[in-house]
Amino acid sequence: MARTPKTPVKGPVVPVPIVERLLSAAMEKGGDFAEVYVERTVLTAVSLEENKIKSAQTGLQQGVGVRVISGARVGYAYSDDLDDEALFRAARTAALIAQGTGSERSFNVARKPLPTFYRLDQHLADVEVSRKADLVVRANRAARAYDRRVKQVNCTYVDQTRTMLVANTEGHLAEDQQDLCRLNVTVVAEGKNGERRVGSYGGGGRVPFTHFDTFTPELVAAEAARQAIATLGAVDARAGQQTVVLAPGWSGILLHEAVGHGLEADFIRKGTSLFAGKLGQKVASDLVTVIDDGTMANARGSLNVDDEGHPPQFKVLIERGILKGYMYDAHNARLMGQQSTGSGRRESFKHLPMPRMTNTYLAPGESSHDEIIKSVSSGIYCANFGGGQVDITNGNFVFEVREAYQIEKGKLGKPLKGVTLIGVGPEALKNVSQVGNDPMPDPGMGTCGKDGQSVPVGVGLPTVRIDNMTVGGTRV
Amino acid sequence: MSTNYEALARQLVARAKKKGAQQAEAYIEVGREASVRVRDGAIEDLTQATSKGAGIRVFVKGRLGFAWTSDFTKDSLDAFVDRAVELAAASAPDASNGLPDKKAVFGHTDVGALYDPEVATLDPEWKIRTAFELEKAGKAVDPRIKTFESVGAGESVSEVYLASSEGAGGGYQGTFVYLFGAPVAAENDQLQTSYWFDYQRFLSELDSPESIGREAARRALRLLGARKVKSQKVPVIFDPTMAAQFVSTIAAAANGDAVFKKSSFLASHLGQKLAPEGVTLVDDGTLKRGLGTAPFDGEGVPTRRTAIIEKGVLGAFLYDTFTARKAKRATTGNASRGYRSLPSIGTNNLYLEAGTRDPESIIKEVKNGFYVTSMLGHGENLVTGEYSRGANGLWIENGELGRPVQEVTVAGHLLKMLEGIDAVGNDLTFRGSTGAPTVRFSELTVSGE
Repeated sequence: MARTPKTPVKGPVVPVPIVERLLSAAMEKGGDFAEVYVERTVLTAVSLEENKIKSAQTGLQQGVGVRVISGARVGYAYSDDLDDEALFRAARTAALIAQGTGSERSFNVARKPLPTFYRLDQHLADVEVSRKADLVVRANRAARAYDRRVKQVNCTYVDQTRTMLVANTEGHLAEDQQDLCRLNVTVVAEGKNGERRVGSYGGGGRVPFTHFDTFTPELVAAEAARQAIATLGAVDARAGQQTVVLAPGWSGILLHEAVGHGLEADFIRKGTSLFAGKLGQKVASDLVTVIDDGTMANARGSLNVDDEGHPPQFKVLIERGILKGYMYDAHNARLMGQQSTGSGRRESFKHLPMPRMTNTYLAPGESSHDEIIKSVSSGIYCANFGGGQVDITNGNFVFEVREAYQIEKGKLGKPLKGVTLIGVGPEALKNVSQVGNDPMPDPGMGTCGKDGQSVPVGVGLPTVRIDNMTVGGTRV
Repeated sequence: MSTNYEALARQLVARAKKKGAQQAEAYIEVGREASVRVRDGAIEDLTQATSKGAGIRVFVKGRLGFAWTSDFTKDSLDAFVDRAVELAAASAPDASNGLPDKKAVFGHTDVGALYDPEVATLDPEWKIRTAFELEKAGKAVDPRIKTFESVGAGESVSEVYLASSEGAGGGYQGTFVYLFGAPVAAENDQLQTSYWFDYQRFLSELDSPESIGREAARRALRLLGARKVKSQKVPVIFDPTMAAQFVSTIAAAANGDAVFKKSSFLASHLGQKLAPEGVTLVDDGTLKRGLGTAPFDGEGVPTRRTAIIEKGVLGAFLYDTFTARKAKRATTGNASRGYRSLPSIGTNNLYLEAGTRDPESIIKEVKNGFYVTSMLGHGENLVTGEYSRGANGLWIENGELGRPVQEVTVAGHLLKMLEGIDAVGNDLTFRGSTGAPTVRFSELTVSGE
């Protein structure tokens, strides 16, 4: 087995005096604001398929991104070299956005003390590869032992340890070490007549490796296998409008897509979200309170500091159906006369920050899970979602439901296949008729894509009943 | 072109061999890019960047190790080669492991020019000016085009170098230039958006900013007033962009790895007639000036043309070296990768060959049906073939495109969809590296009210 790799996880990546000189260089054409973001990320992955560890791999990504703002214009330059020449070239390139005359200003930055919503005694990059390999081997064994109809098992473990530094001409400097991991198991089960069903489960977060002592590979594998086996024999869903009940936890992805994106400040500023200009208005049923919380301990979407150096927040976006606030990054906040909500995130140094969600969830209600199911005379129980997508302009959203059951007279019935939910965000929110008292965060497996940038996010939801949801299917 | 990087790739391979690898391969990418986004006649942001990286793949006693880095300082590179060799110990030996042999990597396909000096030396002002022109042309179409969510232009220059202990080697460089616009149309409290773009290797082939702006506007405007329809089974037409998404799904199911694992609904159908005579689906890594064209694939194997479906018959699956060995097939030169990833099977330039029908006549024949212009979601199940996606578009009444439709899904089974293709247009359109003409399916389920 491989030795523990010598990891380059040591800060600071770029010494503070150099950071200060970079800020001066970035402002040499007279910009209003400049920011330096430096990143050094070590990634590790182990994958298993067909009962064998197929590959073990590691990578190092590092670089600098310099942003200069002049009025409403943004100049951005990045480089994956960290030598002085490359750093200053990036700063001077970004500076050109200002097109002013040269001026020599110096900037001092002071380190901000950060909260610790995650702080690992041992960084994931420092954990022996053999221990990571052991997780996927155990998961594979458990998935195959679950049921003889399990025909195929793919397991992956991925982690990253990112050391980031962000500093700006307002004098802020923040450095953080951001660990993130995820174990994932996908199972294909085969039933009668060659019918094949897929189950998939996983999780992790900004957690120490010991997380997998309790969130065991056996547990992950059993859940993936259960989903695949449970959906064997699934029948076609009836297409059209129906009552749906969402299972607690990962179903929160529906909230993320149907509402969350439309509350991001860039879309609001441009007037391209259908939630623009609706602050203080009723946009959802009284039962709906939506929160974006970047401060949850060890959650996948949590941050000690956002990628612009601002503290993450607990934000109430919708309270009892009333739209209370949007999610701002610093740039959009500045243009809109608002304050950053600590929502400025970027995939890497290669990207400009944007307003993004962190951990987004629906606050719990009064009803029990069983009461909600019992209340439905005919509908669909959505136990597990695949992916989803939203058009924030017209509000249309779509979700693939990977595990679904018929509800007949208050009881769960046959598994259904090929179920897709489609709706318009605010309409779906107005049709929320019951909210459970069983809130649940997802196990830590969400990745959100926007404008070509992926960032880790958390979602969560109690059991929720939504009436008149359009269900896609093949049976009319 | 820098021969330094070719030499560097060879050095990395040599070090890996010295450290105990029986086989080693280095894949290096170097690039630069610049882009602009504008809005309401002003610059929003300008980005400029340089990037590079190396991926080192080694096999030690049949075990695979892989490491990549963007840090090209000598110590760091050496450490990463050594790490790749160490990591191999953590993976399992596999008889199918290994690099393509000498015969497989012999010769590179002559794919013609991929590099346009005009793109490589593009005046930064050109991007700003063209993006402004695109936005202006879009807004001029109709006062209901209120704004653009984004408008932009950009170019990039990329170089790829590869060396292996098995004799693979070479390099190529290419250019890319693009323009895009996403307008927002507003009327009666409803907002609709669309996205239109062009992406080319050669500047002379890029659509004009005016035509992109106008098309983007037209696509958003015609959706204003969209609403649901009743659930029903009807003929459904995919416009060329949506048909391109459909053929991407089919190609993903023709992935040799998914087929080998029986994780593809196509697995047991090789050699069978799955679609009408007029359906030919091709992946061609040699297409002149294609966005996905290259002289060799991600492991140095010459690219080629592979007909996945030939005149309706499922003719071939796509393979890289590892999967081909496992499945006792030959690689089709479809190893796709960047320096940060191991090769995996992907398409080069994928397209559905043009048919003979003009798109208007395909619409004309439909009494009651749905013309799909954009889709949402990822509701394609490649294992089972079930297909269900969110769709927007126009309802067809008596052969005419009529009222706009949103908030519905289109569902079917991919095998039945292939079988049910009853018209293929003569309007093959590439937007990016995938192309298709207008396609009509005889019957799909539309779910709405």
